[in-house]
Amino acid sequence: MSEYLLQMTGIDKSFGGVHALDHVNFAVRPGKVMCLAGENGCGKSTLVKIISGVYTRDSGQVTFEGKTIEKITPAEATRLGIQVIYQDLSIFPNLTVMENLAINSEITANRKLVNRKRWEQTAKEALSKIGYDIDLHTKMGELSVADKQLVAICRALLFNAKLIIMDEPTTALTKKEVDALFKTVRQLRDSGIAIMFISHKTEEIFEISDDVCIMRNGKNVYSGLTADLTKKDFTYYMTGREIEDDYFIPKNISKDPVLKVDHLTWKDKFQDVSFELRKGEILGITGLLGSGRTELALSLFGLGKVDSGTITLNGQQVRITSPIAAQKLRIGYVPEDRLTEGLCLRQPIADNIMLSSLKQLTRTLGTIRHDELFEKSNEWVKTFSIATDDAHKHASTLSGGNQQKIVLSKWLNNDLDVLILNGPTVGVDIGAKQDIHALVHDLANNGLAVIIISDDLAEVVVNCNRVIVMKDGSLVGEMEGDRITEENILEIIR
Amino acid sequence: MKHKSLEKYSYTFMLLGLMAVVLLFFTLTKGAMLWKGDVWLGIAMQFPEYGVVTLGLMFCFICGKMDMSFMALGNFATIMAVRYMAGRADSPAGGVILVGILIALAIAACGGLINGLLVAYLDIPPVMATIAMQLVWTGLSVALTNGNTVKGLPALYTEIGHKYLFGFLPVPLLIFLVIFAISYFLLQHTVYGEKLYMVGTNIKAAEFSAINTKRMVIGTYILCDVICCIGCLIMISTLASAKADYGTSYVMRCILILVLAGVLPDGGMGRIWNVLIAIVTIQIIATGVNMFSNLNTYYASLIWGALLIVVLIMSTGAGSGLMKRFTRQKA
Amino acid sequence: MNKAALKRMTRRTEFYMFLLLILLCVVVQVKSGGKLFALPGVFTRMNTTVLRTMVVDGMFAMCSLVVMISGGFDLSFPAIAALSYSLTCTLCLNNGWCQTSPLLGFVMAAAIGWVLGMLNGWIISNFKLNTMIVTLGTQTLFTGISMGLLALKEITSTLPNGFKTFGKLYILEGTDGKIRFTLSAMVLFLIALCLIVSFILNKTMFGRALYAIGGNEVSAERAGYNVKRTKFLLYSAVGAASGFIGMIRVCMESQSIPKAMVGREMTIIPAVILGGASIYGGEGTVFGTMVAVGIISLVSNSMLILGIDSYWQQFFNGLVILVGVTVSALQAKRQKH
Repeated sequence: MSEYLLQMTGIDKSFGGVHALDHVNFAVRPGKVMCLAGENGCGKSTLVKIISGVYTRDSGQVTFEGKTIEKITPAEATRLGIQVIYQDLSIFPNLTVMENLAINSEITANRKLVNRKRWEQTAKEALSKIGYDIDLHTKMGELSVADKQLVAICRALLFNAKLIIMDEPTTALTKKEVDALFKTVRQLRDSGIAIMFISHKTEEIFEISDDVCIMRNGKNVYSGLTADLTKKDFTYYMTGREIEDDYFIPKNISKDPVLKVDHLTWKDKFQDVSFELRKGEILGITGLLGSGRTELALSLFGLGKVDSGTITLNGQQVRITSPIAAQKLRIGYVPEDRLTEGLCLRQPIADNIMLSSLKQLTRTLGTIRHDELFEKSNEWVKTFSIATDDAHKHASTLSGGNQQKIVLSKWLNNDLDVLILNGPTVGVDIGAKQDIHALVHDLANNGLAVIIISDDLAEVVVNCNRVIVMKDGSLVGEMEGDRITEENILEIIR
Repeated sequence: MKHKSLEKYSYTFMLLGLMAVVLLFFTLTKGAMLWKGDVWLGIAMQFPEYGVVTLGLMFCFICGKMDMSFMALGNFATIMAVRYMAGRADSPAGGVILVGILIALAIAACGGLINGLLVAYLDIPPVMATIAMQLVWTGLSVALTNGNTVKGLPALYTEIGHKYLFGFLPVPLLIFLVIFAISYFLLQHTVYGEKLYMVGTNIKAAEFSAINTKRMVIGTYILCDVICCIGCLIMISTLASAKADYGTSYVMRCILILVLAGVLPDGGMGRIWNVLIAIVTIQIIATGVNMFSNLNTYYASLIWGALLIVVLIMSTGAGSGLMKRFTRQKA
Repeated sequence: MNKAALKRMTRRTEFYMFLLLILLCVVVQVKSGGKLFALPGVFTRMNTTVLRTMVVDGMFAMCSLVVMISGGFDLSFPAIAALSYSLTCTLCLNNGWCQTSPLLGFVMAAAIGWVLGMLNGWIISNFKLNTMIVTLGTQTLFTGISMGLLALKEITSTLPNGFKTFGKLYILEGTDGKIRFTLSAMVLFLIALCLIVSFILNKTMFGRALYAIGGNEVSAERAGYNVKRTKFLLYSAVGAASGFIGMIRVCMESQSIPKAMVGREMTIIPAVILGGASIYGGEGTVFGTMVAVGIISLVSNSMLILGIDSYWQQFFNGLVILVGVTVSALQAKRQKH
């Protein structure tokens, strides 16, 4: 028996001429946590789908427990002991925990009838594997993401899993939940199960993994021990270039604050948050998921509630009840979830860019100036070098970075005092990320007050001249200038 | 519409092709009978009443919402209008008719407002809210009329439905053309139309872009139900009475026409010209079927249903794959 | 029953609907002066009538329920039923079949319904189209076939005797003063169907597949369910059931009228929603659905007793449903936040 549980050599896969995987070599050791890292679209998910049997490889060799595997089908993968926990967890929100745990093995056993006792037994057995306790009759949809994840892990363990693949499992978890998850992962690892962890978060990868495999453009550029890698090397392998951090240096900060928030509270979301924001500043608001950072932004944009506290804009106390009110007060907001909150994908790029400033295009009788709509949006396409030859094309034809530029230009087309960016570069490739950062620097230096909300600490450190940190709905720290380092922020967050 | 490339009109071409096939079929089977002026005057006389209703529902669909209540509401509104008009035979007919029409439209607007409030503020799934409202409006109409027809329309009013302006232009067609022009203008040249497509595509993104989506939804329901009510006003004119269950088959027919025209209830899709082509095609089929003395009118329904299914299947990727397989096997 | 279970129960729409049904029963019982339930034997003219109206609606509601649980929306079942029974009755009449036993008729109607349901199933499972639109299309198509292509006629007095006598089978007879009342044997079909559907939904993997698909179709596929086959089976089974139910209606009414089913879906689907099924799929129970059908039947059969003109019946039905969907929408909204 070889040292490796799963070994893949020279894996190739192309989709209609596009080389998704190019001679990827890859190995997982039993009883170890291995991280598969890489930017969006680097081929991570294709590789996972080959392992789980959803796709068939074009060429290359796969050995599992020393035996060569010719063809992997989903059923074969399950038989071998390979289990994938997808990002959406593949759960049924309308069924109970018990049913969610038992249903897969019942289907695999090709049962026709339901036997409650057997289901309950299966479910209990599954939970006992990691010593997890939960009411079996609760509906799955009522659980927190962390609990759902544990249920999904238990379910995977029922199949005598030898390799568990977790696809970006920490995306929707709070710090506490991540810690709990990692504890479980270590527990599994110690019992001899190999864990393959897909992630792009540097912190987590260094914290949890023994081995790491970094992919870029369909090739694996590094594989080896995590301990042999520095963070700098890691970033280099991930992005393929030495990132010259272009730190933001504020040039003209106004004397009076443009936005002043005093003791703002939204019950059960955040409480007693106070801060000031001046023109020319880029203020970072960071914190983990569930810290109230997004809710705070929503309250400033009229989509959240304000139970107590005040918001003062240019010296005047205001109430922001809707995005329309926020727009009137010259506040813009680039939402966290670009696809559902930011864009009308099935509509032209031009119409998306002009969506929040249709008033400018209105003539008497409510008619619209179509020619101007395209003229203006074409200007933005040029300014932002949005990669399209025709603004009539649908927004869905663009990559994540270019789509984000659309959402940005949508708001910049308005005359703004304050621009709130929530996770401005999530799912954006490195090139576009730098473009967006440079642009935001320019905007601030031209007198805009910018708030960047992000859990990407590197982003906050490089782009903000002041950072406030939130935790469990409260403001727990504020730092300025050279004091802003990842270490300092982490210290407060923990 | 805004795009100049032919690709964007491919669906329009397909619909025109479909219409051509239908015309060709009836020409081959019935020959010159189809191409008489009377036949086309008949077509022009018949489709406006549900054509107008379809245009109303179109707004709802583009907004990504559904309305099942419009005929029930339209019937209730017209019953109230006829009741008003019938009691005032001695007053000058013009004024009575005008007030009657206004009553109907006002009721329709209220109904649209209720639909909009239920959907926008209470978050009731549009299908459910409007089915419930349909039962409520029909129930009210039945209760008020004991399920009977309401008669007594002024003669001037019933003439509208049968009159030809200048001897060739049916008044209902004229009304349809006016509504069509207004709808075209609203969709293509106003900010409302622009917002409508965007709200229909992604209502959340529209809300995040400082668009008053609740007002859009409510406004669209009101617009939809008012236009539908105009269709019902034409209908009572041709039938010279109002009743709780007139035109109930129009609900399904209108949805069918819209889906055929590519205006899916998912929202944000569809072009008004395609709707026009679909309406006319549907009417040509009905008229064509009528020319066969041995066929009853339900044959039209058979063809409509089959047509809808075929178009639906062809519009999916799997469907076009199936087509290819068939053609290859033949070759 | 422990606390958690109690809490779960009070969160369900069915629970409140059941309370409403009991409340309604009490009100009607008091208002009618004890006519809804009476000793001895519990059954009265009134409650047998209510049960009788529940038979066909209740059985159709079962069809609608299983489709809705799977996340679909079926508008075509009344058209399938109409085509099946009209064609069956016409064939039986022309050939002199079913003069004594109705069995052949039921088999034929179910078979025709099955074929029609397969068309639904084939389109829906293969092309992943919006089920509401597909069934709207097939509804129009089937109506066109029964009334256009086949030009099936109304059959009333000439209906084969086998159907007539079958529809007049009673499991109970009694008198209310001088007026005779009967409990139709067709109620047994309703009970049987409820038990079967309940068994399928709760005790078979097929039934759990419907809930799973309605809850999350992608997950169901990943879990190993054959979603395509399940949907095909579902819609063909619903088609067969619709044909069968249509035949029961024919027997009960002693007539076969092709047009009688038009628009029936618009009263049955709301009832299913009222009973706690979600139009987004994955939710719904036999019990809840039957409670909702019971409420609607009770309301429409006790209008006079409640002091309401019978012409207002439809209005109140609509109102009950409007309140029902509003309550469940508000409940969903509260749970989301």
